[in-house]
Amino acid sequence: MMKDEYLGVFIDETREAIQQMNDVLLRIEQNMEDMEAINELFRILHTLKGMAGTMEFNTMMTLCHRMENLLDEIRNGRMLLTEDIVDRLFKGADVIEHMLNNIVENGTDELEDIDVKGLISEFEEMLEGKVDLSEPAGKAKAEEKTVPESKGEAEEIPIEITDDLLHVINEAKEKGFNPYYVKVSLKEGTQLKAARMYLVFHKIEDKGGEILRTNPPVEDIEDEKFDLDVDMIVVIKESAEELSKDITSIADIDKVVVKEFEPEKFQAGKEVKKEKIEEKPEIEKVTASKKVDRRKKKITQTVRVDIEKLDTLMNLMGELVIARSRIVETLKKYNIKEVDESLAQLSRITLDLQNIVMKIRMVPIAYVFNRFPRMVRDLAKQMKKEVNFVVEGEETELDRTFVEEIGDPLLHLLRNAIDHGIEPKEERVAKGKPPVGTIVLSARHEGNNVVIEVSDDGRGLDREKITRRAVERGLIDEAKAATLPDEKIFELIFLPGFSTKEEVTEVSGRGVGMDVVKNVVESLNGNVSIESQKDKGTKVTIRLPLTLAIIQALLVKVNDFVYAIPIATIDSTLKITKEDIQVVQDQEVVVIRQEVIPIIKLWEVLQLPHEDVEDSMNVVIIRMGNKKYGIVVDTLIGQDDIVIKSLGKLFADVKEFSGGAVLGDGSIALILDVANLMV
Amino acid sequence: MSKKVLIVDDAAFMRMLLKDIITKAGFEVVGEAANGKEAVEKYKELQPDIVTMDITMPEMNGIEAVKEIKKINPDAKIIMVSAMGQQAMVIEAIQAGARDFIVKPFQPARVIEAIKKLAEEG
Repeated sequence: MMKDEYLGVFIDETREAIQQMNDVLLRIEQNMEDMEAINELFRILHTLKGMAGTMEFNTMMTLCHRMENLLDEIRNGRMLLTEDIVDRLFKGADVIEHMLNNIVENGTDELEDIDVKGLISEFEEMLEGKVDLSEPAGKAKAEEKTVPESKGEAEEIPIEITDDLLHVINEAKEKGFNPYYVKVSLKEGTQLKAARMYLVFHKIEDKGGEILRTNPPVEDIEDEKFDLDVDMIVVIKESAEELSKDITSIADIDKVVVKEFEPEKFQAGKEVKKEKIEEKPEIEKVTASKKVDRRKKKITQTVRVDIEKLDTLMNLMGELVIARSRIVETLKKYNIKEVDESLAQLSRITLDLQNIVMKIRMVPIAYVFNRFPRMVRDLAKQMKKEVNFVVEGEETELDRTFVEEIGDPLLHLLRNAIDHGIEPKEERVAKGKPPVGTIVLSARHEGNNVVIEVSDDGRGLDREKITRRAVERGLIDEAKAATLPDEKIFELIFLPGFSTKEEVTEVSGRGVGMDVVKNVVESLNGNVSIESQKDKGTKVTIRLPLTLAIIQALLVKVNDFVYAIPIATIDSTLKITKEDIQVVQDQEVVVIRQEVIPIIKLWEVLQLPHEDVEDSMNVVIIRMGNKKYGIVVDTLIGQDDIVIKSLGKLFADVKEFSGGAVLGDGSIALILDVANLMV
Repeated sequence: MSKKVLIVDDAAFMRMLLKDIITKAGFEVVGEAANGKEAVEKYKELQPDIVTMDITMPEMNGIEAVKEIKKINPDAKIIMVSAMGQQAMVIEAIQAGARDFIVKPFQPARVIEAIKKLAEEG
């Protein structure tokens, strides 16, 4: 009924819940006695169950419910948590995720390829076979179990009237109380009947009454061992109508019968001590859940916004930046003092606005990182390797677009680290390394970049093997390979065609090679580099710009045409003369502070007609990971914010430019893709 | 005059659902809170006539919140929102002063019934 309206929110929240569930399960796996984690998991499942039920995804609800019951038994100490159960809970989490995906795609939680019923009954069996440490009627069971016990003959009072009861009634009468026989019937399908009945008791006591006897007995009512009717003897000062009205005011009550009770009919009159029924049901020891979820430090107020709107906002922001630049540019010609101040203010505001819009698009990298602990665990288990997985800097924020794109490359790197990097335990021990391997996934901000690193303490890259493979594939000739330093050899693995299907193992070869990793990162204007030491480990570093939309760029000129170079990629600029240029292996280089830096002339790369320059030349030194190279240009114009506009599909093949930008004076500058200029 | 309702639930989804149901029935939802602590703060601030209170929540659970709110106003009208299997907690909440409860997954009619009954009590 209300499905469509709420589906979006349901999906979002369920996805978050599944994520949390995986995190918590990992914590539980680390420490089986982590009561806080167990309570948290219970709470998550509980919330999920409620949501699924409301959306009428009944299979999902049932599964959550069973898992929740199991956890309830565990946290109340009625069942022992075993590795087997944790594995099963992981499986449950997976199935719930499958269901959610299926809901997204097909609108139903019924899975055809997974035996959900089997899993559900597995959970049930676990519950059945539980180690029974306390009372047999566990609360989890009580719910499904309703022992029909009402005999409900209306006329006769279905309560055993004992002498001591009569005594109490008489005593109460003397004090001005009226004794009544009350029959309360709940509505068909009432949930939590015991609590509902408790509400009735509570109400009566609230009005100064006392319940002397009930049928079924109070203990059974607490355990929900009754159908819909409860009979009771009540003493209260109110009139029958008042009492009846009070009870009826409670929700879910179908019918109330209140009759004057005449003790004379039962009179036998003996002295027995007073007895009354206290209905203070034993409160279960569930209060531990109070402390749940300390990790969720603060709940921030959020608004969910359609992504398209955000993109539009970003676009408009871009236009605004351009418009501002144009105004500034135009007014410069007239030098009007009066507008200077307001112009400065306009600049400040647009800058602030731009920062905020950028921040809106930023999400913590935790969105990608979160799913990895679980995956690494599974992969390591599959590969029979022992891995300690460390995640750092999850709070680092980056552009939403990246978050979506960077997941697969990172997963590939992690897979490689587990499969090829970390050695089997015996091998590690033989090498004198700690038996458990460590993989670190970290993220941090560095200037205008986000740096993501995947490092392991495994066997490291094997220069020999890589060279052999590269020669075999014809990617390099043997003679040249011999002259190259390690880092150049390691870079070979990023070449397309380096990894092949031959080495497909279950884990790491899924047809995604390192070249794909490189492509994805570069399409995001980032770069990848790799460092490795034999038997020490491997570190892959991915460097991404903070955002794609608006960047700071250095504007340069060649042949009166303006080009933009992203500031983030620039190391420095300098002036050189022809004499400074030397040639090493057919490559022009300059030596700066004892560093040999290759240089290229932009007009040569772009094949523009250009005169030879003799004296002072401007060089922009570009830094790509740990490599540097210089680009020779005519003039340096200055620094400006530019809004990147795509060149469109027609120019998708153009490697030299990553986009275009409209400048303050309305002219157009092409943005150099510095990653692809130097081959 | 329409009664003011405060909705407390850690799931935004549930809050949205309740808000819709309650608003459609002609009550005014004056605020929402995502945990017990927030609920107590919002209660002080907004002084609603009726509160719907989820039980399992982070920070401070529903029962604790009921106790706190009752300290502020002993006549506070609080309806617990419970899921199946929380009998004992519902009872604890009633002992703490909750006036009624509804059970998830709920039907709009039940929610309204509970709220109307409390509202009628003046």
